[in-house]
Amino acid sequence: MATTVRTATPATPATPATPATPAIPPAAAPASVGARATGGAPARWHAYTVVFAAACVMIGVYWDISWHMSIGRDTFWTPAHLLIQAGGLIAGISSGYVALKTTFYGTEPERNAAVGFWGFRAPLGAWICIWGCGAMLTSAPFDNWWHNAYGLDVRIISPPHAVLAIGIFSIVLGALLLTLAQQNRAPDTERGRLAWVLALTGGFFLMNFAVFLTEYSQKQRMHSALFYGVVAATFPFALTALARAIKLRWAATAAAAFFTGIMLLLMWTIQLFPATPKLGPIYQHITHMLGLSFPLLIIVPAVGIDLVLHWLDGRVRAMVLALCAAVVFVGTFAAVQWPFGTFLVTSPLARGSLFNADNYVYWMPPAFQAMMQHFPPPPTGAFPLWVHAIITVAVATVACALGLGRGDWMRRVRR
Amino acid sequence: MKRIAGVAFSLIIAVVLSAHVGSPDVVFDGNAGPYPVRVIVRPPEVVPGLADVVVRTDAHDVQRVVIRPVFWRAGVAGAPAGDTMHRVSAQDSLYTGQLWLMAYGSYSVYVTITGARGTGTVIVPVASFATGRLPLSRGLTAVLVVLGVLLIAGLLTIIRAASGESLVPPGEVFDAARRRRANLVTAIGAPVVALLVFGGARWWNAEDNAYRRNMYRPPAVYPTVSVDSAHRTLTLLVRDTAAFRAIFVPIIPDHGKMMHLFLVAMPRMDAFAHLHPIKSDTGAAMTFTTQLPGLSAGHYRLFGDITLENGLSLTVTDTITVPDQKGAVAASDSDDAWTLTYKVTRAAPGAVLPLDERYSMEWSGGQTPLVAHQPVDLKFTVRDKTNGAVVPLQPYMGMAAHAVVVRNDASVFIHLHPMGTVSTAAQQIFAARDAGDTTAGGHLGAGALDGALTPSPGMPPMSMSGALTFPYEFPEPGLYRIWVQVKPRGRVLTGTFDMDVH
Repeated sequence: MATTVRTATPATPATPATPATPAIPPAAAPASVGARATGGAPARWHAYTVVFAAACVMIGVYWDISWHMSIGRDTFWTPAHLLIQAGGLIAGISSGYVALKTTFYGTEPERNAAVGFWGFRAPLGAWICIWGCGAMLTSAPFDNWWHNAYGLDVRIISPPHAVLAIGIFSIVLGALLLTLAQQNRAPDTERGRLAWVLALTGGFFLMNFAVFLTEYSQKQRMHSALFYGVVAATFPFALTALARAIKLRWAATAAAAFFTGIMLLLMWTIQLFPATPKLGPIYQHITHMLGLSFPLLIIVPAVGIDLVLHWLDGRVRAMVLALCAAVVFVGTFAAVQWPFGTFLVTSPLARGSLFNADNYVYWMPPAFQAMMQHFPPPPTGAFPLWVHAIITVAVATVACALGLGRGDWMRRVRR
Repeated sequence: MKRIAGVAFSLIIAVVLSAHVGSPDVVFDGNAGPYPVRVIVRPPEVVPGLADVVVRTDAHDVQRVVIRPVFWRAGVAGAPAGDTMHRVSAQDSLYTGQLWLMAYGSYSVYVTITGARGTGTVIVPVASFATGRLPLSRGLTAVLVVLGVLLIAGLLTIIRAASGESLVPPGEVFDAARRRRANLVTAIGAPVVALLVFGGARWWNAEDNAYRRNMYRPPAVYPTVSVDSAHRTLTLLVRDTAAFRAIFVPIIPDHGKMMHLFLVAMPRMDAFAHLHPIKSDTGAAMTFTTQLPGLSAGHYRLFGDITLENGLSLTVTDTITVPDQKGAVAASDSDDAWTLTYKVTRAAPGAVLPLDERYSMEWSGGQTPLVAHQPVDLKFTVRDKTNGAVVPLQPYMGMAAHAVVVRNDASVFIHLHPMGTVSTAAQQIFAARDAGDTTAGGHLGAGALDGALTPSPGMPPMSMSGALTFPYEFPEPGLYRIWVQVKPRGRVLTGTFDMDVH
């Protein structure tokens, strides 16, 4: 894969029509964007720290879901919860430190590379991390009450979990924006490493979507319109945004590769650890931690999106570009995921630690096990395939248009 | 108006009912192998939720007490490894623990005691249903509102910064044009955020409604009383309501009876009957029929206890009006018994109630004053009036005695035995399932419960002494009446006491 650093300027530069008077001499600007060499510009350690925090949170989330699938019983103090909380606190506290330092002791370049927030100053990504940490903290008493009021949930999507997920998403977004601001300010010679860090963060960004869609992306759904609709509403947005924002030639591909690699590494690694259910009734006698299902094959449409942007970006109108990206996404994704779904559901070769198609949760009754090896019949009154294809492409087009727009914005973030 | 009141009453009943009425805690007194044991299980109000388990044993050689939650369909093979209970007090040999009940339906808590005399296990059946709904406290509401307002205000500030100042290259001024644009985006974002909050609230409401729909509701009972020249016949049609399905396996006999029906005259509670209707099936519903012997005319509340093949004990309840008796009425079942209460004795130390011309029943202790939410022993002694000797009792449906406790507003009903609140049949069902006496469909095999009227191996031999102890835990303060039924000389006699519970 080519790793050429893209140096093209944004399609819509943010420079105002009337240049404003710079607060610092122009000569200082190049030095200020050089991070470590600048002696006063926003420190790159903070961006890397928050990327590390985002990694902690996402690995913790994966671990926690696996814990619920395999062991069941949990407390506030399970290692998975601690990892999530540690990630949130690392991001929140480090960002709070940066905000206090920038506000009260910040150098001029640091203050100039920050945004105002209720009288304080810090980079935008820092505020998003602090906000995300706040959302995660808010979700804790809410989730605790929820468990007491409605029972311990075995579902991923519930209102308090949505608040937690928004908090987690914000930590990852904050990491992305902090690094993006560094990338967008950095001279060409320093962008390479930042772009790769961004691609890694983009992998966690995609993981966020994948985890939240777990309940809609089970293998039995891989021949259903809902599955493709849900995927088309989310991943094209994320991939096009990342492709536009990260200054790598194969940005979407790189982020999707990190996503796939992280998910596979976690899936294969976590299965090595022994575990038995501590809640009942137990219908599946599990002996090791279960991994989440094999990651969706979004790396294929990610390559497609990169190619579409290489060929058409700047040559066609935005909506045409979004439509082309959507058609390529839906076409390539369906072309690989549909048969791969067949393999996962029906093939005995898929059952085992490699493809992990038999990661049956402990509470799944044996009768369901046979059902898991067949696709459910289409609902009565379902539209013909071509109607669903049009709807899915339309959804993906909107997602691509929004993603490209967000990607433009992300390329322009300087603070 | 009456209809509205009826609906309101039904809703209240729906919330407070579980396997018994308004008395969800399970008390068991017996033996786990060689170890005498008292087990109290307080099921959670929400499922999945944590049940509190308390075990007290007088044995001094106990080394370890382990509890396991066993779901009827999965059996012991599908139960998680047991949890060792925490020993509270070495003197009292009191152990506490918690268990997760994850599914709706019939569970049993298996209590295994290990000590110097080996290992013994006892099965304590528990119903696992959502029966309550936790309100949001004012304090937590305030915390969530404050945090929510902060988050929303912060989010709007972030939107403004993201669309404005964050795009300004370092060193350049965040000018008026950019500010206007940022303000515009924030103004557009504010209703979007409001919509998200509104959507979240709607989602919460939908989840809450779904939870309420899944809360336990007892099967419905449709009673009719028919009268001819010689009989008053009560017919009960029992079936699940559309609101909640609880009866999805057949009914089995408990103490040899398909239903234990209790009638309590309301509001004075001055007539009481313990009857055993005969079951016949009509389609999806079950029909139970019994004669109504001996009772005076009036309004009655009925409580019908049934036990299902999965070990679940359910109580159906309704009100009936009993007309005047016509002619001579024979009981439908030889174990039917009824009493008209001419004299009630207030439960107090030394209180004695004559049962007939030969026997009396004495309230012989137990904690006074009686306090709700605490384990109590309701002790009675049946004596010969002539010499004061304790009278030996004949088994009444396999038990030394049956007792029924009803709160004066009928909000609490419990059928007690000296072994506590549990159903013997339910214990035997779990034991049979552990032994593999089930069909491929998960139903009990033919003959699996043969000998169900005899105590299971884990149960103690029933004391047929006239000194009786009923372990119980009152669910709330109030005035209660207890009817204690004993069979000292081939005839069932009933002692009636009133209890003031604080």
